Amino acid sequence: MPDQEKKPVDTAAIASMLKKKEPEMKRVLNYCLRCSICAESCFLYMAHDGDPQYMPSYKVINSLGKLYKKKGNVDREFLEGIKGLVWRNCVLCHRCYCPIGIDIPRMIDFTRSICRSEGVYPEQDGGESWL
Amino acid sequence: MIIAERKPLDEIKDMVRGYKRVLNVGCGGCTSICLAGGQKEVNTLNADLKKALGAEDVHLEIDGFVIERQCNYDFFEALDEKAGNYDAILSMACGVGVQFVAERYPETPVFPALNTVFCGADRDIGWFEESCRTCGECVLAETGGICPVTRCAKGLFNGPCGGTRLDGTCEVDKDTPCAWYEIYKRLKAQGRLENILKIKPPRQWENQTRRSLVQEDYKQRYIG
Amino acid sequence: MKSGSNLEKILTAGHFAFTGEVGPPRGANVEAVREKAKHLKGMVDMANMTDNQTAMVRMSSWAGSLILLDEGIEPNYQMVCRDRNRIAMQSDILGAYAHGIRNILCLSGDHQQFGDHPKSKGVYDVDSIQLISIVKKMRDEGTFLGGDELNGVPKMFIGAAANPFGEPVEWRVHRLAKKVAAGADFIQTQCIFNMERMREWVHQANDMGLTEKVYILAGVTPMKSVGMAKYMKNNVPGMDVPDEIIKRLQGVEKKKVADEGIKIACEQIEEFKEMKGIAGVHLMPIEWEHRVPEIAERAKMLPRPKV
Repeated sequence: MPDQEKKPVDTAAIASMLKKKEPEMKRVLNYCLRCSICAESCFLYMAHDGDPQYMPSYKVINSLGKLYKKKGNVDREFLEGIKGLVWRNCVLCHRCYCPIGIDIPRMIDFTRSICRSEGVYPEQDGGESWL
Repeated sequence: MIIAERKPLDEIKDMVRGYKRVLNVGCGGCTSICLAGGQKEVNTLNADLKKALGAEDVHLEIDGFVIERQCNYDFFEALDEKAGNYDAILSMACGVGVQFVAERYPETPVFPALNTVFCGADRDIGWFEESCRTCGECVLAETGGICPVTRCAKGLFNGPCGGTRLDGTCEVDKDTPCAWYEIYKRLKAQGRLENILKIKPPRQWENQTRRSLVQEDYKQRYIG
Repeated sequence: MKSGSNLEKILTAGHFAFTGEVGPPRGANVEAVREKAKHLKGMVDMANMTDNQTAMVRMSSWAGSLILLDEGIEPNYQMVCRDRNRIAMQSDILGAYAHGIRNILCLSGDHQQFGDHPKSKGVYDVDSIQLISIVKKMRDEGTFLGGDELNGVPKMFIGAAANPFGEPVEWRVHRLAKKVAAGADFIQTQCIFNMERMREWVHQANDMGLTEKVYILAGVTPMKSVGMAKYMKNNVPGMDVPDEIIKRLQGVEKKKVADEGIKIACEQIEEFKEMKGIAGVHLMPIEWEHRVPEIAERAKMLPRPKV
């Protein structure tokens, strides 16, 4: 939304969204062993010759993980910066496998919701035809 | 991908008129990509509805919300929290999503804001072409990768009919190539015309009742 | 004999067949059919009863066929794939046969978009070639398409249409071959104006041995006016009207144009009589049934043989 783009990010709103899912997020971020088993279950990772940016765990840690660490205290540039990770690099196909049972797509979905709540989402009719 | 387009505003207006609080739910899947029902389109429709109903002195309270996919309940959690606060829900997903939302919230009237048009491909941004009718028995192997069910106006399996124009276009539209002429040209170029010399017998239509599918590897899980 | 229809008898006896056509009314006007039929009686071996042609709703072709029978003319019951599924088709074939109809013409049908209900749902459950095979299966194997045995077998003489024109031109004869392989006994072609292309197509059919397996009746339509010729050239899909025809019609004075049209038709018929592989002529005088006796006379098609 053009109007929303100019507005500063509502960090309190993001913080409260994060708060609601805190226990779940803690689990994800604490229990991820960086074992990278999820990598090979991701067809995008395989299709991009093992580019780590497509590794499911990487996508979560570097988007939601950072948001959580900063307690939602981020600016629009940050949200724009993670947009590629959660949209372009993941199609939410639900096929990734985590041996300790972390629901990665659920976390990506949640990150997208946070972005959307601030008016950050991919434009399908512009230069970002990468979805 | 599923291609959809927004219904005429008057039609949507008539659906929601009479409800005080309406939630317009966009879909982050196909209808976002075909520019019909994503976040941007949710915002636009809400503004249009408010304005149109406002002109009739009707005050509509309408919020927008987008979930990543309306055809999979895994994405419904955030919507579950909100849905109960509204008198009606407008869905900007395809017909699949609308039905899934309606099934999820059976107490709430759910309305479609889009017409689901076809399964198609992106020819360019905002330009889509139908290419599959999901008939359930693909014949593309024999027809040079050109679907006669979708692209022949009569869905002939032993075409072309006598209505092909002299320039090779379809009888129903002089700007549409005859599908069977296209099939012929491609197969000829590939040296595979014998494919269509055989008579294709009447087909067993698989799409006459509602279909459901469990992939082979999952049969034990769901069927036993 | 496959069916014992008059047309089959004429053709198997080696006579040059002459068939006509009647378009049923857009209403329940029985007299309109009888009136048209009267002009054809004794002039043709059989007359087609069209099936909602150009997708305009008309009296049903089986009902029209019965009126023809009543008037002493053998009908050719046209059936298009546009309006009925395989259940209705087989059922109608049984009913038509029960009432004495012995010839059937299997067609795809003009697309519904051309008619007065352009957004109706086209059926096209089967296509024309598949329909031919269904009628043949009923007649020769005595079963429905689904495999169940028939209680009473409809012995139909099976017809199909062919269009020697339109792209892909070189494929047209192969599609004819598919119709023959599916079980067509006779073929009625699209209206022929481009004789050069027609000669080539028939030549191809001869070379492929098709004309030994099927009787081809060449479609002839007399041009009534220059306007009609231009309309057919520009507006009727699949119609090939060479400029020479239009020029020839333009070359005579206005009140003689119709006569010139009939003259052209008669010349075509004369050529078809001599053409190897052609077994007869199918005359389609569009809303000109009353001129059929004159055309038959001038084309020296009378009297029709009794078989």
